[in-house]
Amino acid sequence: MPVSRRGFLRLIGADGATHGAWLSARGLEAHFADAQAQGQRARPVLPPGVEEIRISSNENPLGPGRAVLDAMIGKFPEAGRYPFNASPTDSALVSALADRFRVKTDSIVLGAGSQEILKNAVRAWVTPEKSLVTSLPTFENCTNFAKRQKLPVAEVKVDSAMRLDVEAMIAAASKGDAGLVFFNNPNNPTATVHGGKTVADMVERIRKASPSTVILIDEAYHEYVTDPAYESAVPIALSTPNVLVARTFSKAYGLAGMRIGFAIGRAETLKPLAAMRMPYNVSAFGVVAAMTSLGDPMHVANERARNTDVRAFTMKALLEMGVKPADSQANFLFADVGMPAKDFREACAKQGVVVGRDFPPFEKTHCRISIGTMAEMQRAVEVFRSALKTTTTTAASGGAKGGR
Amino acid sequence: MLTRRTFVQAAGFGAAAFIGARGRENSLWSLVEPTLEAIEPGVICLASNENPAGPGATVLDAVKTAFGPAGGRPGRYDGSSGALIEAIAKKQGVKPENVVLGCGSTQILRSCTHLFTAKDKPLVGTIPTYEECAGYAEMMGHPVRAVALDANFKIDLDKFAAAAKGAGLVFYCNPNNPTATYVGARATRDFLAQVAKDSPDTYVLVDEAYFDYVTDPDHATHIPIAIENPHVIVARTFSKAYGMAGLRMGYAVGHPDTIKKMAEWDAGGGTSSLNVLAMRGGLAAIQQDASFITAERARNTGVRDFTMKWFSDRGMKPTDSQANFMFVNIGRPAKEFRDACRARGVLVARDFPPFEKTHCRISFGTMDEMKKAVAVFEDVLKKKATAA
Repeated sequence: MPVSRRGFLRLIGADGATHGAWLSARGLEAHFADAQAQGQRARPVLPPGVEEIRISSNENPLGPGRAVLDAMIGKFPEAGRYPFNASPTDSALVSALADRFRVKTDSIVLGAGSQEILKNAVRAWVTPEKSLVTSLPTFENCTNFAKRQKLPVAEVKVDSAMRLDVEAMIAAASKGDAGLVFFNNPNNPTATVHGGKTVADMVERIRKASPSTVILIDEAYHEYVTDPAYESAVPIALSTPNVLVARTFSKAYGLAGMRIGFAIGRAETLKPLAAMRMPYNVSAFGVVAAMTSLGDPMHVANERARNTDVRAFTMKALLEMGVKPADSQANFLFADVGMPAKDFREACAKQGVVVGRDFPPFEKTHCRISIGTMAEMQRAVEVFRSALKTTTTTAASGGAKGGR
Repeated sequence: MLTRRTFVQAAGFGAAAFIGARGRENSLWSLVEPTLEAIEPGVICLASNENPAGPGATVLDAVKTAFGPAGGRPGRYDGSSGALIEAIAKKQGVKPENVVLGCGSTQILRSCTHLFTAKDKPLVGTIPTYEECAGYAEMMGHPVRAVALDANFKIDLDKFAAAAKGAGLVFYCNPNNPTATYVGARATRDFLAQVAKDSPDTYVLVDEAYFDYVTDPDHATHIPIAIENPHVIVARTFSKAYGMAGLRMGYAVGHPDTIKKMAEWDAGGGTSSLNVLAMRGGLAAIQQDASFITAERARNTGVRDFTMKWFSDRGMKPTDSQANFMFVNIGRPAKEFRDACRARGVLVARDFPPFEKTHCRISFGTMDEMKKAVAVFEDVLKKKATAA
């Protein structure tokens, strides 16, 4: 490693250990406003000396590859230069993504993570008259942002198999007052996916009923899908007006901390997002990290294979304990633990395992568990086993206060 | 030697691509530059008001520690924004609820423009000034009032206060980019009081991006006013004297109610827009010994004196610079000067209408870079201007 373990530990020590353990999940966001409104977020406190296994945020537990870390270290002499002055420039990243998808650069818009894309989509297409149609539960970024702006939101509950209820979403989007449809595929937190035909059919039907409605398909977990029926919606976005796909470097690419995402679609669809994009939204380090990642496809391929193995192991272990997770096509799973997520979370945290936040309306029964390394999950399933035993008695008391 | 990499393929975006790539440049504030060029080793970049020495060892060491075991941090969402907010609050003598972070001060400027301007609440700015707020307001379809600078290229406070009446937001960039001029602390306080009296609903965003480079003795931050008056916000950045432009971190200080509004609109915390390296670096930067900034200011002042004297000695009087750049009448179009310098390995800044036919903004590099640069300027300027 370019940095000694001692150096790293010194940093953690200096920070008071807590910051490293913050539950800053995708969507938890540490929004200042939320923190003010809701007080300190519940963050399990680990007992002293217990090593943390963080399986709460759907991250790639291995991070980026060595080549990416070295490229970022190599960037240090240019830390003082704006991303447009550094080499490669942020425009070069746009060009590299355009090359990869064989599109023109105007079909790509960079974001500070895909969250900037999601927020700007709400800003661009949701108004007091034009609602956001989304699912429940799903990645909350669009929902929360629209609600904070007091914009109308229609949340369509997932079906009994924890899949996005496509028919109900089509119906909600076809009423004529939908500004934006947010379709997370695979869906966070339920980990389920819809096949290419279903998505294509949905897009066609919504477009027929309500051509001005914009459809945003968030494929943050695209690289982890193994279901053969799945297809990316990128070709649809490139051929169909008012459809776009969001992608991120935060998941399989292992760059969550660097904040790099992008939207892909037809230039005229993306125009508002291009105009609203914050200048210099991706740091010079993020640019070089993303470009180096694109040049290292084996890193993502290995990560997919690794995740598939560990996912199968974790799924099997849970099934053996009588816990049935939904079908997972991502680097996390959504499991009926038969008790409030909060109780399960706190019991696991006592043994150093940090699992996902509450996901209403399933916070009384389900927990989202990210897939760590095999070693982490071998340890984690033992912790799950003991948590399930010790806390079943408190489940009936139902102490969970709905997160969001 | 120079990268002739032109990013014309981005033209498909329309103007937005170029705006996105290099600040909000629009018809009113600035001309859109047709090409962007990456910098290659050996090229002297005097185009973007950066600290040429970068953030220094303390900050880079902190950034390095973000590369934890197995690449931990770059792969993990980082929740240390709270620690950075606390450190900034401590440094500025305010409370954490007075501070919101941004992905550079760009995010701060945008949040303010979005929140405080409207179709019937114009943005007011000087012309020229930093283009971000005006560009964003124009994109939103919100009106923009441009107020000319005075004869010394300083903010004309009387005209500015008059234009502020009924405005949604006044963008008060001090020192002003690109003219480098500075309005003293007393006059700024009077201006803020005047706006509060004449137009109490108008917000004033005081952009102190170049605060650390000011040597005028009548110098003070307006943070104490901002934390008391919900209509005054101070923007700061780590991109200038702190040398962290590549990392992207800035912040605003203001009244808790105003900061809350900004955070709600565009939360600048946690995993949203802030990268882990910027948060680690920012924390180290704000906590490091004050001598870092003192030394950077002294270094810049020395280079500034040298460069300004060089131009003055040749009959080209720059404006009174209180920043890490200067604005100088070179008696010819900026583009002509820029292209000629670029061909010789020196990059100077873009056009700044309405002075693009006569003036150029030149950032201060290291002394060594400026000695090389003035030799290039000498060579370029001795040729008769063709189009002035």
